[in-house]
Amino acid sequence: MKSLVFYFQVHQPRRIRPYRRSEIGVRHDYFWDERNMEIMQRVAQKCYLPATRILLQEGIPASFSLSGVFLEQAAEYVPEVIDVFREYFRSGLGEIMSETYYHSLASIWNPREFREQVEEHRRLVQRLFGVNPVSFRNTELIYSDGISHEVRNMGFRNMITEGTDEIIAAHSPNFAYRSVSGLKLLFRNYRMSDDIAFRFSNPGWNDFPLFADKYAGWVAASPGDVTNVFMDYETFGEHQWKETGIFQFLKALPRELSSRGVEITTVDRAASENSDHGTVSVENPISWADTDRNLNAWLGNAMQNDAFNAMKTIDGDTDRKTWRLLQTSDHIYYMSVRNFADQDVHAYFNPYLSPYLAFIYYMAILDDMKKGRA
Amino acid sequence: MKIAVIGWELPPAFSGGLGVHTINLFGRLAGVMNIDVYVPAMKRLGKNYPFNVVPVRLQRGVIGNPYEIEGFPDFREAVDDYNLRVLERFDPHGVSLVHCHDWITFRAGEMIREKYGIPLVITFHSTERDRSGNFNPQADIMSLERDGARAADRIIAVSKFTRDEIIRDYGADPEKITVVHNGVDNEHYTMRPRTYEPTNRVLYLGRVTTQKGPRFFMEAAELVSQRMPDVRFVVAGTGDQYDEVRRLASELGISGKTDFTGFVSFRKSVDIYRSSDVFVLPAVSEPFGMTVIESMILGTPAIISKTTGVGEALRNVLRVDYWDTELIADYVESMLMFRSMRRIMGTMGQQEASRFTWEKAAIDTMGVYLSI
Repeated sequence: MKSLVFYFQVHQPRRIRPYRRSEIGVRHDYFWDERNMEIMQRVAQKCYLPATRILLQEGIPASFSLSGVFLEQAAEYVPEVIDVFREYFRSGLGEIMSETYYHSLASIWNPREFREQVEEHRRLVQRLFGVNPVSFRNTELIYSDGISHEVRNMGFRNMITEGTDEIIAAHSPNFAYRSVSGLKLLFRNYRMSDDIAFRFSNPGWNDFPLFADKYAGWVAASPGDVTNVFMDYETFGEHQWKETGIFQFLKALPRELSSRGVEITTVDRAASENSDHGTVSVENPISWADTDRNLNAWLGNAMQNDAFNAMKTIDGDTDRKTWRLLQTSDHIYYMSVRNFADQDVHAYFNPYLSPYLAFIYYMAILDDMKKGRA
Repeated sequence: MKIAVIGWELPPAFSGGLGVHTINLFGRLAGVMNIDVYVPAMKRLGKNYPFNVVPVRLQRGVIGNPYEIEGFPDFREAVDDYNLRVLERFDPHGVSLVHCHDWITFRAGEMIREKYGIPLVITFHSTERDRSGNFNPQADIMSLERDGARAADRIIAVSKFTRDEIIRDYGADPEKITVVHNGVDNEHYTMRPRTYEPTNRVLYLGRVTTQKGPRFFMEAAELVSQRMPDVRFVVAGTGDQYDEVRRLASELGISGKTDFTGFVSFRKSVDIYRSSDVFVLPAVSEPFGMTVIESMILGTPAIISKTTGVGEALRNVLRVDYWDTELIADYVESMLMFRSMRRIMGTMGQQEASRFTWEKAAIDTMGVYLSI
């Protein structure tokens, strides 16, 4: 039976606050609590709560990655979010995937740090939901053969990543594959995913407005075993506001799909039910970020590299938790200058509205860390 | 289409901002319309201009460098006389509209409008509030500005910042105001790539007047020098606060680290911009801020006050409240410390500033004319 795999990324960073160099050695509170709380509360109301209730009511299966930084902030600011996810996973519809607790880039520079952060996430997920994940998704779907070996060694059986143009030129994203390390591998179908995540409410798009019957028709007509629809969970209600009809779309989709012989499923079920169509090797890291689909979103300019390298030199033993919170990839993502001059920067994607301020605050905080705090 | 421009200065007789603007903007518009530019008759006016120049002989007051003689009773008398003489000398034949620049010329435009029924466009390059640095603006000049704003059919403001001032202070109808940013001549600047190796120099460049906030520069400099003892500060330019600012440097104990260059030529300013790590403009009230664009075009990143008009259209700058000298110092220090940021902000800023062209200003101005 043909299936559609839903995977949703759920993540909120602990954003750092505007931190002045004059505070170095004086103040050691780095995080922007009021802003972080406000964003968590807003997105909970607009997305996490209503969208998850729809999944429950309509019986829609999905795989989720819930970053540790997201979970700890949800527990702190909107505990109801944890409750509704718990109910969803208890229902058996959902799969929780593993990842680094901090949504970090540890996989590309420090294998030990990578393992420890994955382990920290595993403990949290076990404690909150009583689940041991078997599928892995790395930060923003960053993937390479090297990373897949690490993930395999940690005992996982499935992993997902981006179906980049280079990969899908030779391998349709609509089948399961095998990594060189032996993991079952699913590739995101970026066209089908972006139809919902980006184009859904774009009136200039040829297929606007997109209704569930039309979309289900595309899925049914596409070749292969699976359609891998992977996106930010915030698509539902936050990136695409409820006024766009995104929730009605989500509600109507299971019926429209099943009437065409397509079932919705999770990563693990799709991976175990479909045999692999060969092995795929990915030497250099890829990701689902920006248009380059590599590491440029984080390490694409000199400020980002400076910041990343400075973070590595911090002695992690002094205040491990803070150091790891500063490893969250969003901090250096905010320093990206791609499209900065041409496009309106939305505060949602850069709370400082300036890559330079993101850099200044981060570097000042690292300098305070370096000075060694009691 | 024929336009009568009522100006005040023209290079080479003066090279103040207004004269440079007149040459650049109307030089470009002259390609598509007939333009008469009225200016006070001056010995050093050039021979060849891209538009028709109508010199207007004054009988009272003295015409000198307006920035120097402002405040003399003669200056106001000269202004009054000029406006009356323009009306006398004015040739309305075929003129579709009159375009006046700043309060110095508004009155002539109003009188011509009254007498001949010719529509009036006025440009605010600055307001009295800006020029006084928010400190004791002159009521009679404000009332000239208010009258102009009321009488004009269309108003051009050099920034949204200025537009908001005109609405707030003079009750101007927002519907008739258009923002047209100034341009810059790219070709005059060397675009040689920079290495962004540290020079440890922090630059203030511009007139040394209350309006531009030089004292805030000095106060921030003092904070920076406490944390980074090897840094030098450059104050390039002259103005009525020059001695005051030197005294302040001395009081703050940073005279030895500050170079006061006095007046700098355009050519010299290019070198100064390029040999500085960062440019700072903590202006109290700056309608546009041409020096910001100059600095950026030369690849020097800028820290500017939120009350600097051009900032509203720029992304690759750092913006501060002019009085927040601690934050200015914080940003200066970061800029000095990190070559990566200087390089990215410098190169991105260069591209961004290059978009401020006189061609764009001319097209936008044309749009205002055609809307009447």
